[in-house]
Amino acid sequence: MTGPAIAPAYAGVDELRRVARELLESGEVRVIIGWEDARRGARPVFITDPAEADKLIFDTRCVHNLVTYLDPRRDHVSELGRIGLVVKGCDAKAVAGLLRESQLSRDHVVLIGMRCGGVLEEGELPEPLALTPENVAPRCYGCDNREPTLTDHLLGEPQPEPPRPVMTIDERVAALDDLPLEERWAFWTEQFSKCVRCYACRQVCPLCICERCIVEKTQPLWIESAAHPRGNFSWNLTRAIHLAGRCVDCGECERFCPVGIPLSLLNRKLQQIVHDRYGYTASDDPENAAPIGDYRLDDQQEFIK
Amino acid sequence: MSRIGVFVCHCGENIGRTVDCAAVAEALKDHPGVAHSEDYKYMCSDPGQALVKKAIEEHNLTGVVVAACSPHMHEKTFRRACDQAGLNKFMCEMANIREHCSWIHEDREDATAKAIDIGRTIIEKVKHNRPLEVIKIPVTKRAMVIGGGIAGIQAALDIADGGHEVVLVEKEASIGGHMSQLSETFPTLDCSQCILTPRMVEAYQHPNIKLHTWSEIEKVDGYIGNFEVTVRKKARSVDLDLCNGCGDCWAVCPSKRIPSEFDAGLSNRTAIYVPFPQAVPNQPVLDRENCTLFKGRAKGLKKDACGKCKDACLKNAIDYDTEDEFVVEEVGAIVVATGYKLYDVGREQPEGLKGYGEYGYGEDPDIIDGLQFERIASASGPTGGEILRPSDGKEPKTVVFVHCVGSRDIDKGMAYCSKICCMYNAKHAMLYKHKVHDGRAVAFYMDIRANGKGYDEFSRRAIEEDHAEYVRGRVSRIFRDGDKLKVWGFDTLNDEQVIIDADMVVLATAIRPNDGVKELAQKLSCSVDVDGFINEAHPKLRPVETNTAGVFLAGACQAPRDIPDAVAMASATGAKVLSLFSTDELEREPAVAVVDERTCIGCMRCALVCPYGAIEQREICTVDGQVCGHTAYVNPGVCQGCGTCQAVCLSNSIDLQTFTDEQVYSEINALCMWE
Amino acid sequence: MNSQHSDTFEPRITAFVCNWCTYTGADLAGTSRLHMASNVRIIRLPCTGRIDPLFIVKAFERGADGVIVSGCHPADCHYTSGNYHARRRFAVFHDIMQFLGVDPRRMTFSWVSASEGAKWKDVVNETVANIRELGPYEAYRALAPDAVEPWPEAVDGLTPAGDQEPAAKEVAS
Ligand SMILES: Cc1cc2nc3c(=O)[nH]c(=O)nc-3n(C[C@H](O)[C@H](O)[C@H](O)COP(=O)(O)OP(=O)(O)OC[C@H]3O[C@@H](n4cnc5c(N)ncnc54)[C@H](O)[C@@H]3O)c2cc1C
Ligand code: SF4
Ligand code: SF4
Ligand code: SF4
Ligand code: SF4
Ligand code: SF4
Repeated sequence: MTGPAIAPAYAGVDELRRVARELLESGEVRVIIGWEDARRGARPVFITDPAEADKLIFDTRCVHNLVTYLDPRRDHVSELGRIGLVVKGCDAKAVAGLLRESQLSRDHVVLIGMRCGGVLEEGELPEPLALTPENVAPRCYGCDNREPTLTDHLLGEPQPEPPRPVMTIDERVAALDDLPLEERWAFWTEQFSKCVRCYACRQVCPLCICERCIVEKTQPLWIESAAHPRGNFSWNLTRAIHLAGRCVDCGECERFCPVGIPLSLLNRKLQQIVHDRYGYTASDDPENAAPIGDYRLDDQQEFIK
Repeated sequence: MSRIGVFVCHCGENIGRTVDCAAVAEALKDHPGVAHSEDYKYMCSDPGQALVKKAIEEHNLTGVVVAACSPHMHEKTFRRACDQAGLNKFMCEMANIREHCSWIHEDREDATAKAIDIGRTIIEKVKHNRPLEVIKIPVTKRAMVIGGGIAGIQAALDIADGGHEVVLVEKEASIGGHMSQLSETFPTLDCSQCILTPRMVEAYQHPNIKLHTWSEIEKVDGYIGNFEVTVRKKARSVDLDLCNGCGDCWAVCPSKRIPSEFDAGLSNRTAIYVPFPQAVPNQPVLDRENCTLFKGRAKGLKKDACGKCKDACLKNAIDYDTEDEFVVEEVGAIVVATGYKLYDVGREQPEGLKGYGEYGYGEDPDIIDGLQFERIASASGPTGGEILRPSDGKEPKTVVFVHCVGSRDIDKGMAYCSKICCMYNAKHAMLYKHKVHDGRAVAFYMDIRANGKGYDEFSRRAIEEDHAEYVRGRVSRIFRDGDKLKVWGFDTLNDEQVIIDADMVVLATAIRPNDGVKELAQKLSCSVDVDGFINEAHPKLRPVETNTAGVFLAGACQAPRDIPDAVAMASATGAKVLSLFSTDELEREPAVAVVDERTCIGCMRCALVCPYGAIEQREICTVDGQVCGHTAYVNPGVCQGCGTCQAVCLSNSIDLQTFTDEQVYSEINALCMWE
Repeated sequence: MNSQHSDTFEPRITAFVCNWCTYTGADLAGTSRLHMASNVRIIRLPCTGRIDPLFIVKAFERGADGVIVSGCHPADCHYTSGNYHARRRFAVFHDIMQFLGVDPRRMTFSWVSASEGAKWKDVVNETVANIRELGPYEAYRALAPDAVEPWPEAVDGLTPAGDQEPAAKEVAS
């Protein structure tokens, strides 16, 4: 059997390097945050020297959502000065999230948007691979923002639809929904019981931006901090509902979870809930009001007696 | 360590019959943190309260739990008792073992066990109560009234007569509102001007009333007792201190063909003008949009194209270079009285409304609305009170009045009844018949809603004495046919089509909220209903208050209102404002939210949900004064203590005093002591 | 009438209610002497807007078999819109809890106004009956630390733990 084919980089890398160089040279930004080639795949890179702009790449390995570096609490990043950030469509939605929640001033960042044809599920591969149903990041299928609009530069060329994964997230959510209640409970408590409370999911999430996360609030201790099933249940549930209507489905939390908890299923379920009930889909339009914090007089209330 | 006193009340037999009060007191005695526990027949009686006071002193209690009736019943009583005994009154809570226990259960053992649980829950809560001070808010005893129609004038007069200063802000050049345009008023047919003008003059001359005409509200800061309102005084180009209203300026103005707003477009005015002869103040305003000089300036002409009025003014009162001015007024209460406007039934409509293209309004001069008819019927109007139709000045021999144009028509965007049209249609039919004896007045109506004192009698008179023909049904089309207007309608009582050849048609168009009211409501943190009228705080019990404490409503800004209603509401707001001004300081329960600035990230989700706009963004600075971010800040004067902000704050960085996270947590925790 | 001193299972139910409508409605039930099951413990809050899903989770953690959340009907909120915001949060919470396998009958959401003492009684009795049928919430209690076996398996990473239903396994992978 032959392995999956190596894919060329997405169109627009040359432009990306040129734009990055110009932005740095003109002093418009002090740092460009993008991806570079590394031994085990792509990795985030901070470029301050225009001469190094050629390090930038954009291919199917560029899975990381770099917006997490814009979190105002990452002082070491904001201290660098005005940022030029390379974003995919899903990443741009996270920028909109930060703008919506007054965490960012639009003119502190220059957004270089890349037209995207999907990324791999796993970023740590030495070579970019052509996307197949087996290796594509499930969220890329059906992505509605492969050409981000919240950008200052939009580079590259329109890309074809990524392939349909073997099982889409929606199908996986539906499969769970079809299980009897007790089996769902067994499934999730089992999954959550694995959690080691490393909080990687939170650290990497571009929208988990709290100075002191609720899980670290000790007086009172709403969420038990020890890694046992009861505390884990509250933690995983709370993290998920805190992202309801805010999560942009970048998949980073799940990718970073060291014990493989399928957080994206929870996230997707919440996306479905806010979509079905309130017609809300995450977008990269900061004016698009988030569903929690808003209401309509005729919101559904079939579950209320 | 807490030293809590528990006082279990028998409430005579009310609690004691089902709950073993002594056993409850006994069980709670051993609860950690309880220093004293006793039961008594009637805790709320004087001897009962004395027990509480005595125990506070004897045991040096840090908290008190009274297990008795609902806090809605006696919380105040026991808090007062604690206060008198020197214990901060917010350290006292009620455990409701009457309404929520003894009265709803029969089994003594069950009820006793439950009463113990309830007691424990509240003891755990009280352990986390903090001594708090009632919030005292000083009151600026000065009011603002926005809108100078009859409602605004009345409110201003009532408050001013009560001895307090009032700032009356009117966006037009004169006060008076719609009432000044009316001819005669139902249900008594007295002349509108004759009853209104004295009020206008009284307001103008009142030593306690300060008038800003040609002015609008720019910004509202602050809260009840302490508003700071920025008023934009639009550039008038006329110095009101110098001008004596002689009229030399408008006599020479060459721009003479501007439709007069006062005459609803039925006559013309000049660019510098006084809206109507009885205007207050009786001084002109220069309408820059229509002035030859300003139109020239807008085109970039080097030399001013006119200047006649300035030359003509002997008092030197005209200045073409004045600009909008901003005045900040500090007031303690605000009355909103911005009135209404008429639904424009033409083809062009704002979003959500459909209009009545089929009625030809705005396209045929003889199809007019109610206010235009008022002007035609008015002695001070363009026809001197003779009923003459606009197109050719002939006396119309057949006039059709159409009720409910827009109102009660959900297809056109408005489901509500405009309330006053049935009455003014009857009035119009009467006025017409009184002046044109051989004329025919036909009214198409849906229902006749004449439900005020003397109203039904009035509308019956139109039919029975003045012989107006009332046809129950709708009009489908109105169109010109030579000299006549064809009115196609349907008589639903006789089940037949009716076609009338009319000389003039009067449309009773719906009453709509005035332009800009939504924006104004936003500035005041008030909400508007689906139709855009400002919401009252409670439809039955608080009809002239809004959800923003200190902001009141009078007149047609709240819903369609006739003059008696508008005036009654205005006087009600007057009473509200005067009672607010009768104290120097307002006392508020300290049930307010407080932001933990150490952990708040300023995401402002809390501000999004606060029903009162109590939360604002505040900059935070480093030690050397550099702005390094922002957090939320709750204005304790505005916060009403709902706690909605807290539940949306992801990191729980905002906490509601008297229902803090720790208190609720401890209550829930107390439940693990079940069994 | 049920009695807690019998051998039958007596559900423990925690109710989070708003001060102005449901709490007052429950007061009215009292003044009207409407007898009802004695299994419910009320925690009073100013508004449903104040009710955080964490309250409900904590109640389950503390051994509640069921929870009631109740406040003012839409348009009746003492604070105008607290209940509208709460309604959205509860809807999301309700749906996701169900997805996680929590029986929705364990959580009753209701609007009970200050004049609906009788409705409050019905809400209480129905919830108690439902929970009685469902039995004690053992599944949740089993999550408690002492009921837990040590680490289920090696933290080797990426495969889901334990021997589950195939369907579940597929979904997780
Ligand atoms: C055709 C017709 C006939 C009528 N006949 C009768 C009758 O016979 N008898 C009767 O009882 N009622 C009658 N009415 C009803 C009557 O006009 C109203 O009841 C009355 O005018 C309401 O007064 P108001 O002060 O609430 O509003 P308005 O008269 O509309 O006054 C509002 C004032 O506020 C000002 N304003 C608006 N917005 C702002 C702002 N943002 N800032 C500052 N100022 C602002 C406006 O310029 C205006 O001066 C009739 C109505 C119509 C349409
Ligand atoms: S919750 Fe996960 S998928 Fe959603 S935005 Fe955060 S990291 Fe991305
Ligand atoms: S889990 Fe919630 S509280 Fe914690 S960082 Fe994320 S959003 Fe904030
Ligand atoms: S990344 Fe995974 S293991 Fe770590 S806290 Fe999140 S869910 Fe738990
Ligand atoms: S919601 Fe919380 S973190 Fe956000 S601004 Fe308000 S108090 Fe601060
Ligand atoms: S408690 Fe209610 S009124 Fe007070 S700041 Fe919070 S949301 Fe606003």
